Amino acid sequence: MKALTAALLLLVAVAGPSVVLSRDPRRQLFALTAFGALLAALFEVLQAPDVALSELVVGTAVTPLLFAVALTSIALDRRRR
Amino acid sequence: MSPGLRSLLLLLALALLAPFAWHVAKALPQFGSPTAAYGATVNALGPPLRHVSNMVAAVNFDFRALDTLGEESMLFCAVTGAVVLLRGTRGEGTNRRAGLIPGRAVLARSDAQVLLCRIACTLTMLFGLYMVLHGTVTPGGGFQGGVIIASAVLLLYLAEGYGPWRRLIRSPLLDVLESLGVLLFVGAGAAPLLSGHAAMSNLMPLGHFRDLFSGGVMLVTNFAVGLAVAAGFVMLLLEFLEETRALQSDSLPDEAQR
Repeated sequence: MKALTAALLLLVAVAGPSVVLSRDPRRQLFALTAFGALLAALFEVLQAPDVALSELVVGTAVTPLLFAVALTSIALDRRRR
Repeated sequence: MSPGLRSLLLLLALALLAPFAWHVAKALPQFGSPTAAYGATVNALGPPLRHVSNMVAAVNFDFRALDTLGEESMLFCAVTGAVVLLRGTRGEGTNRRAGLIPGRAVLARSDAQVLLCRIACTLTMLFGLYMVLHGTVTPGGGFQGGVIIASAVLLLYLAEGYGPWRRLIRSPLLDVLESLGVLLFVGAGAAPLLSGHAAMSNLMPLGHFRDLFSGGVMLVTNFAVGLAVAAGFVMLLLEFLEETRALQSDSLPDEAQR
């Protein structure tokens, strides 16, 4: 196993639990984004550029945005409706 | 159930599972060793049979195109479901002002942010189009290109803000584009039936190996997936970002309501 692969595997192993263990939703969001970016890099190193491209966009742009919107929607005061 | 009892149950379950997990892990192939016979077969057969250099596209859009049709419909249904769910609870109002979170300051976008996002949006959009067009030649393809185009639209939101973005991105157009993508895929799959061939048969001219126009029907299905994914994801972004708009009742200042 190459050093780069090993390093990325380790980083992913650290980033995964950090998503679960961070309790503040906004911090969790950034942890999730970092996790997505690391996964994309790992897929690229493991010679799966197709998967890496999908993961890069879906994991670091679309999914965090959906969560960010959900948090904003909660923070917006909608009780008057 | 108390946390202590729960942890005990978890430990018990882990202890029970551990030997089996170990047994399976030992039987796994060595890390990084290519053992899949299917991959080797596709690599050997793809170029002579279909004239394409991206074997993933060959599998997705030709050899196993029926599976992709299923995934395509799944995405279509998921987006439709999200739209129905969100629009159903929100209503079809057309307020184009962004909502304000009570107690949070509203900062104006800097010129640098607007300029950077506009430039990045253009480049990302171009890259997405490139990815869709070169689906049969280089890694990537319809799905990847589609989501990249959707992320370019998201950059546009960062540049322009909710109101102007909402005026640019219209949901009827997205509806048409997404449906067109799915219909194109179904049509490309069903057309061979008319001449008595099996569904999804590749009857179009295959073109030259490593050429932009190679792969026959793959070009059509790849483009269809790109269209449907780009429009579907933008639709999803639109519906979610609509959740952050101001409600009609918010248009009056808070003081006037109380």
